Amino acid sequence: MDNLAELLHGFTIAVTVPHLALMVVGVLLGILVGVLPGLGAPNGVSLLLPLTFGMQPVSAIILLSSMYWGALFGGSVTSILFNIPGEPSSVATTFDGYPMARDGRPTTALATAFGSAAIGALVGVILITFLASWVAEVALAFGPAEYFAVYFLAFASFVGMGGAAPIKTVVALAIGFAIAAIGIDTVSGSVRLTMGVDELVKGVSFVVAVMGLFGIGELLVAVEEEFHARAVSSKIDWAEVFRAVGRLPRHGVALLRSAAIGCWMGITPGGPTAASFMSYGIARRFSRRGRYFGTGEVEGIISPETADHAAGTSALLPMLSLGIPGSATAAVMMGGLMIWGLNPGPMLFVDQKDFVWGLIASMYVGNIVAVALVLLTVPVFAALMRIPFVVIAPLIVIICVVGAYSVSNSYLDVVMMLGFGVVGYLFKKLFYPLAPLVLAIVIGDKAEDAFRQSMLMSRGSLGIFFANKLVTCLIVAGIALLLLPLVLQLARLWRKPASAAAETTAQEKVII
Amino acid sequence: MISRRTLELATAILTGGFGVAVVVQSLDNGIGWSSAGVDAGTFPFLTGIIIVVGSLYNLVRGVLPVATLANVPIAITPIELRRLAGLFVPAAIFVAAIPLAGMYVASALYVFAVLAIPRHQSVPRALTMAGATAFALYVVFERAFQVSLPHGALAAALGF
Repeated sequence: MDNLAELLHGFTIAVTVPHLALMVVGVLLGILVGVLPGLGAPNGVSLLLPLTFGMQPVSAIILLSSMYWGALFGGSVTSILFNIPGEPSSVATTFDGYPMARDGRPTTALATAFGSAAIGALVGVILITFLASWVAEVALAFGPAEYFAVYFLAFASFVGMGGAAPIKTVVALAIGFAIAAIGIDTVSGSVRLTMGVDELVKGVSFVVAVMGLFGIGELLVAVEEEFHARAVSSKIDWAEVFRAVGRLPRHGVALLRSAAIGCWMGITPGGPTAASFMSYGIARRFSRRGRYFGTGEVEGIISPETADHAAGTSALLPMLSLGIPGSATAAVMMGGLMIWGLNPGPMLFVDQKDFVWGLIASMYVGNIVAVALVLLTVPVFAALMRIPFVVIAPLIVIICVVGAYSVSNSYLDVVMMLGFGVVGYLFKKLFYPLAPLVLAIVIGDKAEDAFRQSMLMSRGSLGIFFANKLVTCLIVAGIALLLLPLVLQLARLWRKPASAAAETTAQEKVII
Repeated sequence: MISRRTLELATAILTGGFGVAVVVQSLDNGIGWSSAGVDAGTFPFLTGIIIVVGSLYNLVRGVLPVATLANVPIAITPIELRRLAGLFVPAAIFVAAIPLAGMYVASALYVFAVLAIPRHQSVPRALTMAGATAFALYVVFERAFQVSLPHGALAAALGF
């Protein structure tokens, strides 16, 4: 009941005219970056970040999180109307969304997608409302060893469940850690890994990495396949919106299952992209109409959309209560929290009640605002897609350049951003996952500090990670997740040597 | 034409090279245990080793004729390569021009060049868009958010 009282207090913070205005602005900007291929939620949020430094933290997080909701919805619009996913997480929506829209039912497809997305988001927020403060309470008792164990578990779950080739995930993670270590070491004060470039003493900001990896990298991938926007009609038939939403309860099982998958993948850092693919795959296997999937099935839209939004929302739970972001965008937001002077983690629930509950309340309101705005603006943003890509591409390049520069007024950052762009392109092309890389850049320092503090406490003995039940469980679970791909591979080889390779290809298709 | 294998190899060498650089650099900070606890170089050293080992594994997987790679022999076709270069080369020139020309002039020239030279847009339209881009940047950053973008050596020489 405490939570409900706090939540009501949160609503008094979130539902004020300035904050509602921020939500509208955030959602509209979010839909914009969601619609534009080459700009995604991580970029959009990091672009806005420098502009929030003068704001109250709670206003800033409402703006950024609203942008996130907008981007999640915006990605679905282009998936359905143009067969072009504006966001990686809405790729799975194209499978059934576009065929349905092409068959002359664009309103049904859009309304089904938004309706189930809203339900997914709602489940995610409810989960946060009831679980976040409890998790934070447990985490308050954590020492450095427990923290390191939780970080370890988070990173291990990327390797075990991320879906990408495990060794590629490990390499991406380790590169992120190394980049996080560049600059002044917070414990000893010595300068590390500057490679002879004095300017690197300030370190490499995650914003620079995100601009390059997700902005320029995504753009290079997009320009390769010169797509033509062949839009189906983008007129909205309002009566059909309500009919389509009214039909959603018939697919209750699919909704609940997808929301559960989404929440699970969001809390363990699998991310929305993996969640939507997994949910689509499972729905195809279990649905009675599974063999019609791909031709415009309702459940083929419901499953990825619900899971996508449930994962996107619940990715904020570990960020708030443990200081471990569940997705790339959440990682960027967490970077923002640290810049605003807040310390992400359980202490937020004690020291910054207004911030936490204001944010949680704003998630309820923000998603309603997002659904309304996205339906109202579909024709506008659909028209935007008719602007030729050659015009949009240089503008996105300029946005990324200016964004990277404005982080710390450094030209070197711009050059590095371009370098990260090339890396991002190569990684995308070869199925190296980008989310763990960003995650490691943001929380690498904290993980290292936790490790070194626990080593200090134990005078160099690794035994501290097995000192009590909790920490042992976390470490063992982490190791199990790390070994999971290896075990699966061995089991597969043992059963059917030939099918192992085919499975890998299928996996690669899934993580695009 | 660039094969998937070449791309895998190049990326593995790139990541491995970075790993080696990390390992070498972290040795300067000391690895192991000292009176102050774990030395500053230890953690980067370990991540460097992981990067090198992982890259070697990816390198070997890239070389071996594994079924997965055989399925996609071509990663980038010549047409795609031309499109990539068409985006990246102007962008790189744009970034290189910033210290000299400044953000506003460089971005206006960049927009004009990519739109007018391949004749995607008519010259007057390209000029308008270039001007609008620079103006929008000026209004949003210099005026609204008081973030000073680089004006460039040229502007400094002219006394701006």
